[in-house]
Amino acid sequence: MSTVSTTRAPARVERTTDPRPRRSKRRQVRERQWPAYVFLSPWMIGAVVLTLVPMAVSLYLSFTDYNLFDPPHWVGLRNYQEMLFEDPRYWRSVGTTLLYVVVAVPLKLGLALGVAMLLKNLGRGRGFYRSAFYAPSLLGASMSIALVWKALFNDGGTVPDVLDAVGIHTGGWVGNPDLAVYGVVLLTVWQFGAPMVIFLAGLQQISPDLYEAAALDGAGRWRQFVSITVPMLSPVVFFNLVLEVINSFQVFTPAFAISGGDGGPADSTMFYTLYLYERGFTASHMGYAAAMAWLLLIAIGVITLILFRTSRSWVFYADEEGR
Amino acid sequence: MTPALHPSRRAVLATAAAGLSTALTATLSGCSAASGSTSGGVTLTFSWWGNDDRAARTEKAVRLFEKEHPGVSVRTSNGEFGAYLQKLATQAAGGGIPDVVQLDYRQVSQYAGGEAILPLDDIIKAGTIRTSEMDKGLLRTGTYKGGQYALLMGRGITGYAYDSAVYKKAGVPTPGPSWTWQDWAEANKRIAALGLKSPDGRPYTGSNDGGGNEDVFETWLRGRGGKLYAHQTELGFTEADLTAFWAFCDGLRKDGAIAEARDTVQAKSTETSPIGRGLAAADFTWDAPFPGYTGLLGKDIHFAPVPTTGGHQGAYFKPSMLLGIGANSEHPEEAAQLIDFLLNDPRAGDILGFSRSTPPNRKIAARVAKTLQGPEREIYDYAQTMEKYGLDDPPTAPPPGDLAIQTAFKRGYQRVMYGMATPRQAARELIDEANRELRS
Repeated sequence: MSTVSTTRAPARVERTTDPRPRRSKRRQVRERQWPAYVFLSPWMIGAVVLTLVPMAVSLYLSFTDYNLFDPPHWVGLRNYQEMLFEDPRYWRSVGTTLLYVVVAVPLKLGLALGVAMLLKNLGRGRGFYRSAFYAPSLLGASMSIALVWKALFNDGGTVPDVLDAVGIHTGGWVGNPDLAVYGVVLLTVWQFGAPMVIFLAGLQQISPDLYEAAALDGAGRWRQFVSITVPMLSPVVFFNLVLEVINSFQVFTPAFAISGGDGGPADSTMFYTLYLYERGFTASHMGYAAAMAWLLLIAIGVITLILFRTSRSWVFYADEEGR
Repeated sequence: MTPALHPSRRAVLATAAAGLSTALTATLSGCSAASGSTSGGVTLTFSWWGNDDRAARTEKAVRLFEKEHPGVSVRTSNGEFGAYLQKLATQAAGGGIPDVVQLDYRQVSQYAGGEAILPLDDIIKAGTIRTSEMDKGLLRTGTYKGGQYALLMGRGITGYAYDSAVYKKAGVPTPGPSWTWQDWAEANKRIAALGLKSPDGRPYTGSNDGGGNEDVFETWLRGRGGKLYAHQTELGFTEADLTAFWAFCDGLRKDGAIAEARDTVQAKSTETSPIGRGLAAADFTWDAPFPGYTGLLGKDIHFAPVPTTGGHQGAYFKPSMLLGIGANSEHPEEAAQLIDFLLNDPRAGDILGFSRSTPPNRKIAARVAKTLQGPEREIYDYAQTMEKYGLDDPPTAPPPGDLAIQTAFKRGYQRVMYGMATPRQAARELIDEANRELRS
């Protein structure tokens, strides 16, 4: 880059007019920077050793046939080809995962927003209620909660029994391929604490003046929600949506625990990551599993990109105000 | 208005990117278990699978070993078969396989070939593990390319645990070594016709549904003169064979003669099997876990042969499970001592009994047989009876892909049970999937 373009960078002009020669300036900067790199080094070593190297190895493995025991051998695009064109179970796992994302994410976000709105104006005991609603998010990712969940939805568990008592006969959800996936959905939806807290923070940033002004103009509660809360909250909604979509594509623990690891019955809870795990650790096709991981990464990337593109039409950023 | 506190576009973007980057790192991160010694002495890790009865006996034998070897402590872990296999594969990948490890017949060639377990020949030559009292033919089941990698813990055979009281009530004769699959179907129908109720009020049926169990299919197939694998890369049965088997089981289940689909799906151990939950009168199983059935359900439970096709038995003797030493063990000497103790020490033999079916050490088998009572006596006698009746030679060790085919088999039949596929469609799917596994 030349120093001629003076239209947009006054700092640059300043630099060229510096009387000292450039090289010594650079050295000076380098001397000033080294402590920063020293302090950063643990993180940088971690990033390289624990993230970049495994990613590179995983990419390499995705082009090999690797059974965990023998050295991997190169098969080119064979894994990808088999996945996309020869493996019906791959596409079934994609379908199950998409169904899960489409059902679980809106439910979870809706619930999180609803509860956040209720908690926002709560006076007494708000600390208690916030903790109570947040607690499942802290516990929910654990294996033990998933096992408790399994017991609740199993034959003779509380949920089927209660449903029986009110005349809905479902039997155990865990052994029913039509219902098993919804057991997992409910377990996820129940952990709405994290988005709820973010919604709460967002709600509290909306100026009460806006509501007052709207009330003076005769806007009812619903009108205020649609015309003030939703647009003012849209960056937060967007933020939660992106995070939840990314997380939901990677659902694993609840399905693993509830199905005992096999994605059953009849593959009804065989989510993408569970199938990936099964290919890798049960069938010993690590190369195939690595290829699945990369396609998942690409798919999540594309979907996130699409969300960002569409967001331009519905997300309102405060710092864009007046543009 | 406080615009500065609203998340900016850039902040949202950055967070989303951070979330995305976890997508990959979270999916494929192996874990390696810590192994090694404590400051006081040697700590061995030992893992196996099995039911509660086996767990209690194994713990007791291990504690005796610790008492005999001061300074050596053994950390044990066990689990249910399916989960155990996955955990072990993960550990093997991370180089953290336990010092002493219980293996399935199907795993030996894969683990030995991948150098995950140690060759035992030198240890055997040095006399740390004694094999003089073991049957040479059966010892071969633990070899890979001429080297001994694992030693069998027992000689097993499939069978049928059934409630004799219910059989008597239904007027079904005691199953003998030549009873047929038609006799079995008839027995189930008669039991269902009794109109008994399970503890949760549902109709009581004749048996578990063996349709999703590859072992049951293999017995059925061998009774008709077939076999699972023609050789290491080819199936030994056809779509028609499997269709016939699945249609047979499917029909009986639809008639209410054998357990419901949801109960078959939930059955993962003796306790959760239909017979264990009071939903059925019988269960296809192996001889080794049988004492667990009587422990759970009482003395009316007996062990019978699996049905035949026209008197041709499909059951065969195979190593019920084997023991090996993890390749990365820091204490192979002590690990070998533990194996020798479990296999050759008479006191360990007394404790373990027949919990892993007939012990491989002839002297111990004979010694324990004399003192055997109840269910263990029964499986010992059962093995004798079957030997006399005449069984075909065992097949060669199954290919490594069999582990995946076994789970595919279960899943294929689940699709039949839930009406997602006809027996023929599901059989077609299984054969396609099996061929893919065997090819790679």
